[in-house]
Amino acid sequence: MNINRLIFQNLKKNIKKYYLYVFALVFSVALYFAFVTLQYDASMDEVKGSIKGAAAIKTASILLVLIVSIFLLYANNIFIKRRSKEVGLLQLIGMTKNKIFRILSVENLILYFISLFIGIFVGFSFSKLIIMILFKMLDIEGISQLYFSKQAFIQTVIVFCVIYLFIMIMNYIFIQKQTILSLFRVTSSTEGKIKKTSFLEAIIGIVGITLILLGYYVSSMLFGGDFTSINELFLAMSFILGSVIIGTFFFYKGSVRFIANIIRKSKGGYLNINEVLSLSSIMFRMKSNALLLTIITTVSALAIGLLSLTYIAYYSAEQAALKNVPANFAMTNIEDAELFKLALLDKNIAFNENIIDVIQVNIDAQHIIDSNLSELQLDPNSMTISVISDQSIKDIDVSADETILTGYDDFLSKFMPLKKSGPIKLIGQHEVIPQQYVGLRNDYVISYNFTEGGLPVAIVDETVFQRLQQDINPTIQKPTSLYIGIDIKDDKQIKAANEIFLASNFSDNNESRLEMSSYQKINMGLSMFIVGFLGLTFLITSGCILYFKQMDESEEEKPSYTILRKLGYTEDDLLRGIRAKQLYNFGIPLIIGLFHSYFAVQSGWFLFGTEVWTPMIIVMVLYTMLYSIFGILSVLYYKKVIKAALYN
Amino acid sequence: MNILEANKIAKSFGNKSNKEEVLKGIDITIKQGEFVSIMGASGSGKTTLLNVLSSIDKVSFGTIKINNVEMTKMKEKQLAEFRKKYLGFIFQEYNLLDTLTVKENILLPLSITKIPKNEANQKFKEVATELGIYNLKDKYPNEISGGQKQRTSAARAFIHEPSIIFADEPTGALDSKSASDLLNKLSDLNQKRNSTIIMVTHDPIAASYCNRVIFIKDGQIYTQLTRGEQERQSFLSDIMKTQGVLGGVHYEH
Repeated sequence: MNINRLIFQNLKKNIKKYYLYVFALVFSVALYFAFVTLQYDASMDEVKGSIKGAAAIKTASILLVLIVSIFLLYANNIFIKRRSKEVGLLQLIGMTKNKIFRILSVENLILYFISLFIGIFVGFSFSKLIIMILFKMLDIEGISQLYFSKQAFIQTVIVFCVIYLFIMIMNYIFIQKQTILSLFRVTSSTEGKIKKTSFLEAIIGIVGITLILLGYYVSSMLFGGDFTSINELFLAMSFILGSVIIGTFFFYKGSVRFIANIIRKSKGGYLNINEVLSLSSIMFRMKSNALLLTIITTVSALAIGLLSLTYIAYYSAEQAALKNVPANFAMTNIEDAELFKLALLDKNIAFNENIIDVIQVNIDAQHIIDSNLSELQLDPNSMTISVISDQSIKDIDVSADETILTGYDDFLSKFMPLKKSGPIKLIGQHEVIPQQYVGLRNDYVISYNFTEGGLPVAIVDETVFQRLQQDINPTIQKPTSLYIGIDIKDDKQIKAANEIFLASNFSDNNESRLEMSSYQKINMGLSMFIVGFLGLTFLITSGCILYFKQMDESEEEKPSYTILRKLGYTEDDLLRGIRAKQLYNFGIPLIIGLFHSYFAVQSGWFLFGTEVWTPMIIVMVLYTMLYSIFGILSVLYYKKVIKAALYN
Repeated sequence: MNILEANKIAKSFGNKSNKEEVLKGIDITIKQGEFVSIMGASGSGKTTLLNVLSSIDKVSFGTIKINNVEMTKMKEKQLAEFRKKYLGFIFQEYNLLDTLTVKENILLPLSITKIPKNEANQKFKEVATELGIYNLKDKYPNEISGGQKQRTSAARAFIHEPSIIFADEPTGALDSKSASDLLNKLSDLNQKRNSTIIMVTHDPIAASYCNRVIFIKDGQIYTQLTRGEQERQSFLSDIMKTQGVLGGVHYEH
């Protein structure tokens, strides 16, 4: 048998063992290629140009390379270990290490580059699908042409060649480090010797949990008004990140084992099969995997968190637009409005009109605001806000000495919380009108050009409003004091109305809600797409890594299954234990990741949108479902191993 | 009372074109409370015989009854159930789970049977004390010696009071001191608990601790020796003589 034949035979035999490695490779290449194709696609120019998306896509592609290369190196590491016996044998029959390395390299080369080209083909086929998804998300119409990007091809090949070089270097180091003896022992020496849990570990465990909880606690206060300067905020955020990540590491290093040990102690040596297979095995592996698990948890949390936040923003696009532009169209001067109305009538589009007089008044709100505003550069003794009459709003009637505020931005209200009621003063040019502030409403009644994007609007009695109108302070007034809201009666006609609106070329102060929400969607849709792409990549790579790890463990634990089956445990008994084990193995990083992202999202979601629960839960459930696939896959793998365990 | 009856059991490996018969029709009966050795040269089929008798492997032909229950027709699940209740195992490689302590390893067979914890602890204390490993109960297998591991393995085999204990070369990996220690313990337990032990070995000294030795050659029973009232030494020399004739390992004494 010559060397070429040996290589060929090896390949044939190993394809089965390597199928997941090949899958991982094909998958990473396809993903990367599809992404790079997007980057070079001409039909993407619209998206890129609209929000300088090019930079975002480029950054994402670098991140993608990083994730993919870590993943491939890790996978290679596991697979080369599995072949150490074979390598030892080759050494035993007198091959030099360099020759073995050459054989492995050629084998790997063939496998790697076949996968690379399959991956590019798959990526090519999927890139059209991806572009269509992207366009669907962004509400952009138009069908993209499927074309093969040479640039993308070359870039992909170069990137993966470099990764291949790294893999080869790793293999070379691995082979050089081995002696014949250690090669035969490799699988048994990788996991550390089993030790008793120590006092130190208990302390590490407690510190870990404390750090995580502390991080959560600080995160819940982050936007609660305790940190009002940007520096403080930044410090607090860094503290949260550091505390949670180190806490997670310690948690895996000590807490899991510590908790497992307490449970185990309470059993007094009388363990059932689930505990034998899950508890004891996890106790001894969690610690050595602490770093890996911390990385997986942190990045999962990151992915879930970012996905949730972007989805919140995307999900809230319409509501945000509603907040900024309360009617379908908001106009600020009569001529434009008349023109628009004529055009609408011309097309038989029915509408409602709502005209509100808006004046700007300084108010003294120091008794109802209890926060330090120096950072916001607002003076509570004299803030300029919009004031409207209670007659402009249908269902509100206030008495002459009362004021209602409405439409206060969530974000602003975190920094500058308002009391439930209290005395305020409306300051006109000459006279000051004392009023009693009686409550805050959530409706947005006028468009955002009047409210500085989030300050509340004061609703006062008609008589007070007239007094204020007489006594107006001209320096603080807006260019217009008229809000004209036009609502289209039939939702189906909004699009047509919008086209008329766009065609009329009105001035900047006139707004269309539809235009605003689709602008927001394009904006958030692209970020969501990029984050989603990265999130999916990370999900699959981390799932694969955990799965590879389980494949590895199942081989190592095979003798235990043999013993247990000889003792009379059935396959089903063992499988039940394995399911419990997988629940821990995949569940612990997932649950911790979900918790991290939950607290991250809770601390700052209001910066991104108006609705938190629905989008966050959708993201979390989807992530969990996709992630569980890998848990199920590894249970199936174990099933095979257990089935074969009795007869050898 | 016969606890095990095997009738014309045969076992072959491989496919039709390349068939290798390992067991060629063996009849064995073993009585309650017997301590039996199966001896034979390497490749004579003794480990296969043990595997078949202990339900770990299936026969190609023939029947095996344990406690008058026919095992050869049972399904995989019933077999597992059967092993759990009526059989105990001691292996050459100890076969302890590295991740469990000595006590946890020994209690394994009980945890399936759902015996109350107190009772389990009581049983553990008895058997571990008899085998002299009670004070090792919280150690892990990698912290104790080979002899101690094998005694742990033995304790695990005895704890649920099985009908038969199968031991596959239990002294194979032990030094002579630990080996004789273990064999003494085994024959003690055999007498005290009236438990049945079937042991495969190629070591005549180990075999001399038994009541009866069955010699296997090329998949068939060659001969049997019964100890009766003999001293162990004279039984040993009988065994060695037979082994010499058998053509296995030859001893020059």
